[in-house]
Amino acid sequence: MVLYRFEFAAMACANELQLWGEDEADVRRAAEFAIADVRRIEAKYSRYRADSVTSAINAAAGGAPVPIDAETAALLGYAERCHRVSGGLFDITSGVLRRAWNFRRQPPRVPSDSELAALTPLVDWTAVEWNERAVRLPRAGMEIDFGGIGKEYAVDRAATCCAERGLAHGLVNLGGDVRVMGPQPGGAPWRVGIRHPRRDDAALASVELFEGALATSGDYERFFEIDRKRYCHLIHPRTGAAASTWQSVSVTAPLCVVAGSCATIAMLARESAEVFLASQAVDYLMVDAHGACRGPLQPAS
Amino acid sequence: MAADRAPDGAVLSATSGALLAAALALPGVAPGLAMAQAAPEQGVIALKYLDYRDWQPGEARMRVRAPALYVLKPLSDSVAVEGSLVYDSVSGASPLYFNTLSGASGIGITEYRTAGDIKVTKYFNRMAIGVGGAASSERDYLSRAASLDVRVFSDDRNRTYAFGIGGENDRIDSVNGIAVGQRRHTVDVLLGVTQVLSAQAIIQSNLAYSAGHGYYSDPYKLLDTRPDRRRTLAWLTRYHQHLPGIDATVKVSYRYLHDSFGSTSHTAEIAWVQPVPRGFTVTPSLRYATQSAADFYFDPPFPAGHVPGALYTADTRLAAFGAITPGLKLAADLGGGWSADVKLEVYRQRSSWRLFSDGSPGIAPLSARWIQAGIAKVF
Amino acid sequence: MFIRRSCVALASTIAFLLPGCAAYAPPYPWEKGELAQPQMQFDADALDAKIGQHIYTSKEAAAGGYGVGGGGCGCN
Repeated sequence: MVLYRFEFAAMACANELQLWGEDEADVRRAAEFAIADVRRIEAKYSRYRADSVTSAINAAAGGAPVPIDAETAALLGYAERCHRVSGGLFDITSGVLRRAWNFRRQPPRVPSDSELAALTPLVDWTAVEWNERAVRLPRAGMEIDFGGIGKEYAVDRAATCCAERGLAHGLVNLGGDVRVMGPQPGGAPWRVGIRHPRRDDAALASVELFEGALATSGDYERFFEIDRKRYCHLIHPRTGAAASTWQSVSVTAPLCVVAGSCATIAMLARESAEVFLASQAVDYLMVDAHGACRGPLQPAS
Repeated sequence: MAADRAPDGAVLSATSGALLAAALALPGVAPGLAMAQAAPEQGVIALKYLDYRDWQPGEARMRVRAPALYVLKPLSDSVAVEGSLVYDSVSGASPLYFNTLSGASGIGITEYRTAGDIKVTKYFNRMAIGVGGAASSERDYLSRAASLDVRVFSDDRNRTYAFGIGGENDRIDSVNGIAVGQRRHTVDVLLGVTQVLSAQAIIQSNLAYSAGHGYYSDPYKLLDTRPDRRRTLAWLTRYHQHLPGIDATVKVSYRYLHDSFGSTSHTAEIAWVQPVPRGFTVTPSLRYATQSAADFYFDPPFPAGHVPGALYTADTRLAAFGAITPGLKLAADLGGGWSADVKLEVYRQRSSWRLFSDGSPGIAPLSARWIQAGIAKVF
Repeated sequence: MFIRRSCVALASTIAFLLPGCAAYAPPYPWEKGELAQPQMQFDADALDAKIGQHIYTSKEAAAGGYGVGGGGCGCN
């Protein structure tokens, strides 16, 4: 068997597939299917594209219901479950808080209470009216986005796509969200490095994966610092506060979409993070505000 | 400042593994996970071999050997075709064959039956339409059938309504010359509803009505004369309950059946599907059936004062009795899409086992046992 | 007469069965993992079901209720 590597750009990330296979044409075909599906999901759900499903739903906020297909309904269903198990911490309507938390503004500044208070009525997943066929955002200005689910969902689908084409040994990595299909040939695990939350060029640890997924959420993806205090892009949906308890949370789970949503919820869950992660029966490695690691995930040195 | 607000007080009300269970419903996140009632995504090829024997005091034993093949193949995202083929060879005598070829020994005669069916189903967003055909051929019997069934799914796919209509044309040419070119025509209609009650329970209830006319007598039984019309009403209810704590599934079913011959039957079945380690599944099952006799059934001896041509049968299948079938099935997941199973069932029929009333005193107790062994591959 | 007797039997059986059913809590699509398992489906093993129905058709008066268009045979 030969290891084939495919690198591609999508979802504003550098991505790669590593696939072991006997026949290059077979592997290449599987990779093409997987990459096409990633691009399909990006086109369908990106909030940066005016013709996406997400944009159509957001553009109709306060107006008529927007018809949706089964895939979109399933994603909304998963988002609802995340909202429920997180006590509302995971809320796909919270993206409007970015209007106050502008990470591109120079110089950066922390939004005022009144700026946030003006937006909080627009953050309320429970107000969204939806069923299997249609969704309606009840208030003008409301938005949803599939950040925290969409890319991870694409990882899982890409892995399934390859597995269903007979590739039993492979790895999908979309911008750091990883899923492996089985160990490497011969049974060796895949070694996946976890980025150090404070050093761009260093690995904090490496984790051995035989099967399943690893996703990391951290305060280093988009942030600014004022007076040596870091404000990251993960915003509490009700208080409008930036998450600050953890520098990063890495989670392993059977599916990437589970690992990703658990990591996001844990980042927002402050001191309840470990209780939450344990309740989801996932393993994790968390870095607290002082840089100390904790969690059952044993980093291979 | 915003980041220094007091803790939010969010209540993390998770149950163990809740997100994983929810994520598995996302389409395509894990191989081989399909939503119930959607078009099949994978094909199945299955082969089974049946070995059946029965015996009755004073009668020769009958043995049936029957290899059978089943194939399900998705033709596209929304079309699937399935079909089966079975080839029976019946040797020895039976209540049915006892008088066959009465000049010959009766024992060691082998009869053959070839039967097949095919069905194409097209899945739409909220419904599925299936068109099927079936045929069965024996030396003295030819049957052809066609069917159309429509299933309509509710928005949440938790309820399915089923409508079916089928027609059957049979031709009987008995080898003893009693029935030559005799025909029978039957129309079946079925109304059903399947309801998902919870994530762990599902129930189905079908009402089926069958109306037929033509030749219903048994040409191999002396003076056997039956009505030339038969109407049957069957009501079948099946319930499956998963027990998460022990990963077992309990299946129960009940069928009420009444036909215009005057026979009423009640059939109840229970099966316990228990996965055990190493990919094995053990399924013990028990079936009980009780039936009343047809209006024109007479126990031996032959009724005094019988008018030739009057309705009459001594066919034990139309007698009053009860029957019990204990069974045990062992299935193994062999990996790579392969699975194998073997099932043993033992059937005993006794007039004294009838419920609600007495059985027909004249019937000899019938016993049967059958073993089916199969292998299947998902592709 | 035939239909009326049948309906009485149906109604009494419904009344008997209903209390035994599980609580009605229809699941969301993402809660249907268990329901997709073969053991929760009706007639998941098509040949097993066909063989059983065929044998009972040849031994008992009763047949039917499982579907339409199976095709007959000389054994009934």
